Amino acid sequence: MASLTLDTVSKSYGRTRALSEISLSIADGEFFVILGPSGAGKTTTLKSVAGLEPIDAGSVHIGGTDMTAVEPYRRDVAMAFESYALYPQKTVYDNLASPLRSGRTGRYTPEQQRTRITEVTDTLGIGHLLERFPRELSNGQRQRVALGRVLVRPAGAYLLDEPLSHLDAKLRAAMRAELKQLGAMSSTTTLYVTHDYQEALALGDRVAVLREGRVVQVGTAAEIWSRPVDTFVARAFGQPEMTLLAATVDGGRIRTADGTLDAAAPAGLDRGPVLLGVRPRALVLGETDGALRVRGTVRLAERLGRLVELTVHSGDTDLVAVVASVDAPAEGSTVTLSVPPGEVHVFVGDRRWGSVAGKEDHDA
Amino acid sequence: MSADETAAPPSVPAWRRGLRPYLLSIPALAVVVGILYPFLSGAWYSLLDYSAGNTHVKSVWFANFADVLGDPGLWRSVGVTVEYALIATVVETVLGVGVALLLNRSTLIGRVLEKVLILPLMVAPVIAATMWKLMFDTNFGILNHVLGLGHTFNWLSKDHALFSAILVDVWVYTPFVAVLVLAGIRSLPREPFEASDVDGASWWYMFRRLMLPMMYPYILVAVIFRLMDCLKVFDIIYALTAGGPGTVTTTLQINAFEDSIIHFDYSRGSTYMFLLWVLVFIAARFLVGVLTKAQKRAAGTEG
Amino acid sequence: MARRVLAPGQKRVSAGGIAADTVTVLWFVFALFPIVWMFLLSLKNNVQQTSTYFGFTPTWTNYLTVLGGKGEQLTSVDFKSAVLTSVLACAGATAVSLVVGIPAAYAAGRWKYRGSDSLMFQMLSFRFAPELMVIVPLFVIYHYLHLFDSTVGLIWVLQLVTMPLVVWILRSYFQDLSPELEQAALLDGYTRVRAFFTVALPLVRPGIAAAALLAFIFAWNNYIFPLILTDSNATTVTVAVTKFLGGGGQAYYNLTAAAALLGVLPPLVLALCIQRYLVRGLSFGAVKS
Repeated sequence: MASLTLDTVSKSYGRTRALSEISLSIADGEFFVILGPSGAGKTTTLKSVAGLEPIDAGSVHIGGTDMTAVEPYRRDVAMAFESYALYPQKTVYDNLASPLRSGRTGRYTPEQQRTRITEVTDTLGIGHLLERFPRELSNGQRQRVALGRVLVRPAGAYLLDEPLSHLDAKLRAAMRAELKQLGAMSSTTTLYVTHDYQEALALGDRVAVLREGRVVQVGTAAEIWSRPVDTFVARAFGQPEMTLLAATVDGGRIRTADGTLDAAAPAGLDRGPVLLGVRPRALVLGETDGALRVRGTVRLAERLGRLVELTVHSGDTDLVAVVASVDAPAEGSTVTLSVPPGEVHVFVGDRRWGSVAGKEDHDA
Repeated sequence: MSADETAAPPSVPAWRRGLRPYLLSIPALAVVVGILYPFLSGAWYSLLDYSAGNTHVKSVWFANFADVLGDPGLWRSVGVTVEYALIATVVETVLGVGVALLLNRSTLIGRVLEKVLILPLMVAPVIAATMWKLMFDTNFGILNHVLGLGHTFNWLSKDHALFSAILVDVWVYTPFVAVLVLAGIRSLPREPFEASDVDGASWWYMFRRLMLPMMYPYILVAVIFRLMDCLKVFDIIYALTAGGPGTVTTTLQINAFEDSIIHFDYSRGSTYMFLLWVLVFIAARFLVGVLTKAQKRAAGTEG
Repeated sequence: MARRVLAPGQKRVSAGGIAADTVTVLWFVFALFPIVWMFLLSLKNNVQQTSTYFGFTPTWTNYLTVLGGKGEQLTSVDFKSAVLTSVLACAGATAVSLVVGIPAAYAAGRWKYRGSDSLMFQMLSFRFAPELMVIVPLFVIYHYLHLFDSTVGLIWVLQLVTMPLVVWILRSYFQDLSPELEQAALLDGYTRVRAFFTVALPLVRPGIAAAALLAFIFAWNNYIFPLILTDSNATTVTVAVTKFLGGGGQAYYNLTAAAALLGVLPPLVLALCIQRYLVRGLSFGAVKS
C-alpha cells in the first residue's frame, strides 16, 4: 500500500505531446479513477507511474519515495493492460502464477500460490479456465485473467487500464458492482483508467478528467457531476449528454435567442453570450413551483425500458429530457417541462460560472 | 508512506536507458566493421596500382577508373550484365506471378504441386548450373534428345549462351517470385473480389483493376531482390560458361574475377567492383524508395 | 496461356480450369525435370552415362564412389571432407550470426534510436553488395592472417550471407511482438534480461528457427567465397561438385550428378522443415504469410 504522487509530469512522442504537466496526488488506499476520451493520455499516465514509459519532465513518487528513474520491477506496482498482455505460451494458471514466481512480490510455496490463484479465479469466475491458453479464451475471459494477474499479488498500487471494457454489458455491470468490494482492491491504492463515465462515478473515490494530456478537473464523483468545471467535463458525464443552449445576458435577463428559456439573470453575471446546460434528467414533466418552464412539442419519444427519452422541440431548439415511461406523452403532443434554476448550468467562455440560481464557489 | 523504511531503490538515469540499444548492437556493429574494413580496402585498392607482381604499390588516383572506363571490355560487360539482369528479372516476374495465380486456384493438383514449388530455389545456383550444363551437352545432353534437336544444337554457343544462362536463372528463381506473390495474393481481402464477382466483372478486369494494384508491393519486393541479385550474377555463369564463349557472357563480376583472381590485378578488379557497387547502390536506393511508397498505398487500399 | 478462374471466390469454368491445370503441370515438369534427370544420371555407369537416355541398368555405385575414397582417386575431390567443412562452416557462421544478431535485431525492433536505420540499411547493403568487392581485399588479408583455406576464414566471410538474413528476419519478428508482454513481465517483478529470456525469446522461436535454417541454407549454397578463399583444405560442397566436371581426361557426368544431388539434399530437407516461415524469411521479413 502506498500513496501516489505525480508532479508536473510531461511526456512527448516526437512532436506529439502526450502529457502536459500532469499533477495528481492519490492517497494511500484510495480508489482513483482517470476518465477521458481516447487519446487523452490515460494509458500514458498509467505507464508513467509504472515506469514503462520514461517521462520527459516531472517526478513520480510512490509511497513517498522518488521513483522517477527507478526500473519498473522495483516499483512494486501491478498493472492490468487494456490489451491484456497475457503470455501466449503460458496457461492461465501460469500467467497468474508469474508475478508470484518472480521473487519480488514475496515468497510463496507452490501451495500458497495455488491458494491465492484459486481465490482470485473463483472471485472472477474463471476458475474453470486454469489449464487453457490465452488464445482459447474470449476477450471477456482474457480481460478477467489480466485483472486476476494483478489481484493475485500484493502491491503498493494497482494500475488498471480499462479493465472492464471488453466484457459484455451484463457482466460489466456485475463486475463494476463487485470490483470495489474485492478484498485486495478495497485495501490497495488503485489507479483506474476508463472512458466510461458510469464506471468513474460508480467506482471512484475521486475522479480526474483528462483531456489532450491535461488534467481538466479533479474531484469526487458528486462534485464533478454537479459542478463540472467546463462544457467538456459537463458533456463527458451523463447519457444522454447535457443539452447546451446558446443564450445572451442582457438587461437583467438571461434568454435564448428564440425565447425558449427566459429567466432572471443571477447577480454578478456580466452581459454577453453564455451557454446554458441542462441535464436531461433534471427536466421534469409538468409545472413545478420556482422552476423554469419550457413548452414544446414532442418530436421523438424513444423508449429505454423504464424510462423514455424525449426530444422536445421548442422555438428553434431541441431539448432532451428523460422521464418515467408511465408518464410519457405521445409523439406530437405538446408538453411543459420544468427545471429548477439551480440545475441550469451557466458557462461563460466554456468555463462554468455557476447556475441560473447564482454563482457558486468552486472550491467549496 | 515512510520513505526511509527501506533503502531507496536504485535509479537508472535516462542516459543509461538510452544506451541500451547501442550496447545490444555493439557485437553486430563489430561484425559490420569486420566486413566493412575489407570493403573499404577494396575501394582503396581501386585507387592504387596493386597487383601480385607489383612490389612498389603506389596511388594512381583515378587512373584505374579512367583506364577501365575507357576500356570497351567494361562497356561490353556492363551491357551483358544489364541484359542478363533485365531479361531474367522480367521473365521471372511474369512467370512467377503466373505460377502464383495458377496455384492460387487451390485445385487438387495445385495443392500437391505447391509442396514442391520451392525445390529449385533451394538448389545452390552453382549446382543448378552444373546440372543444366549436363543437360545442355550437345552430344549426350537430354535436352537435345527430348526436344528433338539432334546432336547439332549448341546451347552454349555464342548466340545462345546468355539465354541458356538466363534459363538456369529462371529455373532457380521463378519460385522465389511465385512464393512471395502467392503469399501476397492469399493475404488480400476477399470482399472486393466477391463484390465485383457479383457485379459480373470479367476475370481480366478483376486482375488488372483489383488484384494487380493490391499485389504491387509484393511483386515489387520480389523484383528488387531479383534485380539486385542478377546484377551481381556470378555462380551460374561461372559454372556454365565461365564468361565465354569469347566474352558473350562476361558479366561485371566475371570480369572482375578474371582480372583480380586469375590475373592478380587487384586494383583493376576492385575498380570493376566499385563501379558495380555504385550501380547496385543507386538501384537499391531507388527501389527502396518506390517500395516504401507502394507499401503505403497498399495500406491505404487495404485498410 | 489461358489462365482463368484465378480471383479468390470466383467459380471455376471447366474448360479454362483444365487448361490452367495443364499449364500448372507443365510448369512443374519444367521445375522438377532437372532434379529427376540428375537422379537418373546418377544411377548410370561410366559407359551408360553417355550412351543411354532412359533405358539403362541402375546402380548405386556412383554414390559410394563420391562418398567413399574411390572418388578421390578418380577426380582428386575429397567429397567427404567437403561435406564436413560445409557443415562446420555453415553451422559456425549461423551460430555467430545468431549470437551477434539476436541482440541487434531486438534493439532495432524495440527501440527507435539514432543510427538504427543506418545499421539496418548497412546490413541489407551487404546482402546486395558484389561479393568480389570484399573478396579481393580479403584474399590479400587472409593470406596475411593465415586464414586462407580455413574453416574460420569461411565463417568470417559467410557473415556477409548469414548476418543480414538473421538480423532482418528477427527484427520483423520482434517488431510484431507487443512490447506490453515484456512490460507485463517487468511489472510481475522480472528484470529486463529475465523478461527477454522468459517472454520475448520463446515467442520469436519460430523466427529464430526460420532465420537459422535459411542462413544455413544460403551459406551452404554459397559458391564464390569458398571458390576464391579456400583451396583443397577447406573445400566446400558447392566447390567440390563442380570439380567432378573438371577439365582433362574422363568427364564424370554420373559422378557429378550424384554429387550434385548429395549437395542439394541438406538444403531441401531443411527448407521443408520451415516451409511455413519460408516466405517471410526469403523476403527478409517484408512479406508475411
